[in-house]
Amino acid sequence: MPAASIDVRGVSKIYNPGSQQPVKALDTVSLSIADNEFFTLLGPSGCGKTTLLRLIAGFEQVSGGEILLFGEEIAHLQPSQRSVNTVFQHYALFPHMSVAENVGFGLERLKKPKDEVVSTVKRMLSLVKMDHLADRRPSQLSGGQQQRVALARALAPSPKVLLLDEPLSALDLKLRQTMREELKQLQRETGITFVFVTHDQDEALAMSDRIAVMSEGHIQQIGSPTEIYEHPVNQFVADFIGDSNFLDGEIIAIEDDIVTCKIGSESVFEAENSGNHAVGDQVTLFLRPEKISLTHSTDESTDNHRRGKVSNIVYLGNEAAYTVDMGDGISLMAQARPKEDGNLPFAIDDDIAVGYSNRALRVLAK
Amino acid sequence: MSKWLPKSAAARRWLGLTPAYVMIGIFMLVPISIMAVYSFLEPNPYGGVLPEPSVAAYVKLFLEYDLEDNLVFNPGYINIIFRSFQLSIMATVICLVMGFPVAYYITLQPENKRNIYIYLITIPFWTNLLIRTFAWIIILGRGGVIETPLLNLGIIDDSLKMMYTDGAIAIGLTYSYLPLMVLPIYASLEKLDFRLLEAASDLYSSRFQIMTKVVIPLCKPGIVAGCILVFIPCIGAFIAPNLLGGGKKLMLGSLVQFQFASARNWPFGSALSMLLLSAVVVALIFYARSARKKEYIQGTA
Amino acid sequence: MTERDLKSSNMAKAKALPVGHYRGLGVWNFFFMVFLYAPIAVLIFYSFNANRMVINWTGFGVEWYIKAFNNEDIQDAVWNSLIVAFVATGVATTIATIGALILARGGNFKGKTASLGLMMLPLMVPEIVTAVAVLIFFATIGLNWGLGNVIIAHITFCIPFAFMPIRARLEGMDTTMEQAARDLYASEWETFRYITVPMLMPGIVAGAMLSFVISLDDFIITLMVGGAGSTTLPVYIYSMIRRGLTPEINAVSTLLLLFSVAIVTAYWFVSKKSNTKTVH
Repeated sequence: MPAASIDVRGVSKIYNPGSQQPVKALDTVSLSIADNEFFTLLGPSGCGKTTLLRLIAGFEQVSGGEILLFGEEIAHLQPSQRSVNTVFQHYALFPHMSVAENVGFGLERLKKPKDEVVSTVKRMLSLVKMDHLADRRPSQLSGGQQQRVALARALAPSPKVLLLDEPLSALDLKLRQTMREELKQLQRETGITFVFVTHDQDEALAMSDRIAVMSEGHIQQIGSPTEIYEHPVNQFVADFIGDSNFLDGEIIAIEDDIVTCKIGSESVFEAENSGNHAVGDQVTLFLRPEKISLTHSTDESTDNHRRGKVSNIVYLGNEAAYTVDMGDGISLMAQARPKEDGNLPFAIDDDIAVGYSNRALRVLAK
Repeated sequence: MSKWLPKSAAARRWLGLTPAYVMIGIFMLVPISIMAVYSFLEPNPYGGVLPEPSVAAYVKLFLEYDLEDNLVFNPGYINIIFRSFQLSIMATVICLVMGFPVAYYITLQPENKRNIYIYLITIPFWTNLLIRTFAWIIILGRGGVIETPLLNLGIIDDSLKMMYTDGAIAIGLTYSYLPLMVLPIYASLEKLDFRLLEAASDLYSSRFQIMTKVVIPLCKPGIVAGCILVFIPCIGAFIAPNLLGGGKKLMLGSLVQFQFASARNWPFGSALSMLLLSAVVVALIFYARSARKKEYIQGTA
Repeated sequence: MTERDLKSSNMAKAKALPVGHYRGLGVWNFFFMVFLYAPIAVLIFYSFNANRMVINWTGFGVEWYIKAFNNEDIQDAVWNSLIVAFVATGVATTIATIGALILARGGNFKGKTASLGLMMLPLMVPEIVTAVAVLIFFATIGLNWGLGNVIIAHITFCIPFAFMPIRARLEGMDTTMEQAARDLYASEWETFRYITVPMLMPGIVAGAMLSFVISLDDFIITLMVGGAGSTTLPVYIYSMIRRGLTPEINAVSTLLLLFSVAIVTAYWFVSKKSNTKTVH
């Protein structure tokens, strides 16, 4: 197996150690990022994702553990001694230098010959489609243009790994979506490992080869976007990515692949067995709203069908989100498309059928 | 940074701060300490001090020896100190009354106009105080810009004797430090969210109430800062009492200068300086307190 | 009045005077500016008086300017003022720049607040107190360098004026610029040379200009500390005022005034330019 591009081994970061209020930003985090991978660190603000990125870049010192770049320990090196480059959240373009000078800055520090600097800057600027603005100052550029210059500047010294700290967060929605595609394409073209930090789940799902979901200084789950979305390992991951129904209950029977749970006072739900569970365990069942089919009359094609009453509707244009009261204090969120004439299929207080397959309902460990 | 600088961050830090420590420490802190010591020594009649401990300088503030060598109460210096505070407070209040509406008016202007007004207010502050005070002699003095036309028109038939009065000193002090009142008030008003005024108006406040219940409480830190910034130089002022008070209406600052330049009573001058310094310290403590309160308000907001 | 009348009159009022606006503010502001500038205007006006008494206007003339230019004492005083201002500005700005860099970029350390307080101390002590304290100090240690004494005192009180704009500039400067440079393989020295210093330059220039004006305008400290041979222009003007009011004082004052205004205006443009630069 080839060496991972980045290997994070048991890394901890504690701010203000020894003070009244030490802050544990990262708690023995380990992960391994393959070469050529688009790897995303995803989590809410304060989860430690930016700290991890800054530790890899060298702007902060680890409190414990080690960081390997292609097998070489780098945790004690200066940022200028690591062949990783960063695209900063607000770009951090040098305001007193032109676009070309910004892009050439790293190459000049590496003492590259003049003609090589010039040609690389040219190549990088055309890569990000900014060659026509090489003489501008950063303050004369739009947000999207500054973003491209920041990318070109970080890519120019051909780093082994490119670190991106929420690079799209300062752009408006439309531009953000265009840049997503461009970033993904740029990664494929350059073949450089990208480590991307974001709190935006859509961004993470759209671009990444793999995602690490982080919370409170721990990694909750690492996996491909589909793994993360379809098979979250715990309630945090399921809740953070996409919409979910959660049902708290107790396992009353296990039979092959099917776990039977009691929810509320008397309702019984069957779910797919995800592993080590025993009768009597307190568990949370999880069901994505789009896995539920709503019909007027019972849909025989699904494994499970129940009846419920529509209690709330939120119209979203391309679809409508329904809250269905299932009785026994249970309510489920589900989605339905508007009919072809644009009207909604169900109204409040309608008595409707709720169907889902056994594999859609999963058991999450507490 | 370079090879010849010490490696450790702490060593570099202290090396870098040493010039500042040396300059301000040796030529500011040490002199003030020596002055404090001098205030407890005997004066040398030829200038300087004699190395004999004495509290005579502080006693002199209140008491003097009469012809029969008895200590009797002497209100002379107390009066000067009292006048210093009186005139300083008066100038501070006039500055506030004059300056607050201006600071507020500037805040209401569009940005380019605001910059011009702030520039106009800053300019006099950076020009020579002596010259600016001198200009007032031409205006207030005997046969000056105010008197001459009135005399010529026959409205008055004698000099108004505006110079060498407390009023002249107060005008001089006000004029000297007016920008110091406007700038901090403007700085705090500029940060004021004007939607709060709309909210107050929406909740049935009159214009007067908007001012007293919203604007003034919110820019109080700026008002306090302005008052302190005006009060401190006023209490130690030398130029205005000297030129406009004609050396007869003394204030603390001119009294201190007199002890060193003419009276050659260094201990007494030192004692007066210590008194001045303690007034400043009290004012600064007051300011620090109100600044802390401001932090508290912002912290809970 | 009907309800409709009431409503429309209220609306008219609201249109005339939006929330937060008050009547008479503009007029007040106008008179404020007149108060601020009238004395200066009067001073300049009478500098062109042909009469040898300031206040006795007899006709226009520039002879007092010519007289001032030819006055050797004034020439000496101007030289002294410029020497003091240049040396004090150079030294104070250097000290303040290093100090500001350490206090803004050196992280948290014990004694940081105290160091900051020390830097600002000369601003808080009344000038007259500084003046007599330094006078006592020089007399006690027997230091008698003439103009050198004045320069030392000026360096001391110029430090906070140079320090303030430099520190403000540094505080507004994000450390991410320096991190970005380090990330792009710049050594510590290269980061300082290519990023920190160029970005800090407007602050340094502003600080130097302020100290220069402050030093040039200082009167009371120079009066007390300076000896016979170290008369600066403001001290000389003071002695002229004491001797009697002639338009020559106005002429010299006008020139000094214009010089200060020119420097402050230059400072204004430098700091304004640097402000717009940092805004993203």
